[in-house]
Amino acid sequence: MLKDLDPILHSQLRLAIVSLLVGVKEAEFTYLKEQTNSTAGNLSVQIQKLKEAGYIEIEKKFKDNYPQTICKITKVGIKAFEDYVEVIQNYLKPKK
Amino acid sequence: MKTTLENDLNENMNPEESLHIINTMINTAKNKLADDGFHLIFWGWLVTFCALTHYVILKLNIQGGEWVWMLMPLGGIVSGIYGYKQGKTQKVRTHIDSYISYVWIGFIIALFLTLSFGYAHGIKATYFFLMLLYGMATFITGGILNFKPLIYGSLFSFAFAIVSVFVGEADQFLCISAALILSYIIPGHMLRSKFKSQQHA
Repeated sequence: MLKDLDPILHSQLRLAIVSLLVGVKEAEFTYLKEQTNSTAGNLSVQIQKLKEAGYIEIEKKFKDNYPQTICKITKVGIKAFEDYVEVIQNYLKPKK
Repeated sequence: MKTTLENDLNENMNPEESLHIINTMINTAKNKLADDGFHLIFWGWLVTFCALTHYVILKLNIQGGEWVWMLMPLGGIVSGIYGYKQGKTQKVRTHIDSYISYVWIGFIIALFLTLSFGYAHGIKATYFFLMLLYGMATFITGGILNFKPLIYGSLFSFAFAIVSVFVGEADQFLCISAALILSYIIPGHMLRSKFKSQQHA
């Protein structure tokens, strides 16, 4: 049953990142790090994977001379998230 | 959450775990109160102060009471600086933040046009429309934030807009003050204390 699940989203940290971004307009890297309690290194790797899949957009800016990374979910990412949730829901439905 | 997320190598999540992560993360941003009430309180007090001062000056039969309104551009600067600083420390921008910005940008444009061109229809019409705008902006903001005191408070601006049509020029300033105390200052302070209690939670 779990073979239908999107392997990009079926990872704890990536799923957490996408779930956070689905509810907001945009979020800073540091916010994602705080909310997911992940390490900067691991988070960087995972957001890069999500970006390569086209699920999120990453914008790099400078704020008071410090680099700032802003993440935003894309339409493709929203669709993938909805599909993922649907598969999970179908699995959890009582079997007739 | 902490221990499970740290170990990202574990791809064998069961559906219940997936759902738990989704729920936890979605609720993180959803339950965050987006507004600290600063602008409501600041503008509420500033405009009330100007309106009451203008009222007293008119009652004392002194000329030039309208000069007190020169505090408005100054207020705009303070408000702008606060907003700019707040934006700098904000790590996440929710859809709610974005909707509220649009409501108030629209409000500022409408306010500016009403003050600039409303006089053509007389001072009474201007104050009437000002109070309608006060009420509309706080009504919508209250709805977006799902904050009842702001929704109910906004109704007083509508009510005092009607009252202002039937009173003299000086008393219109009392209507403005009453509208602001009930629609901005009181709900603004309530919003701020809710925001602060959430910060400490």
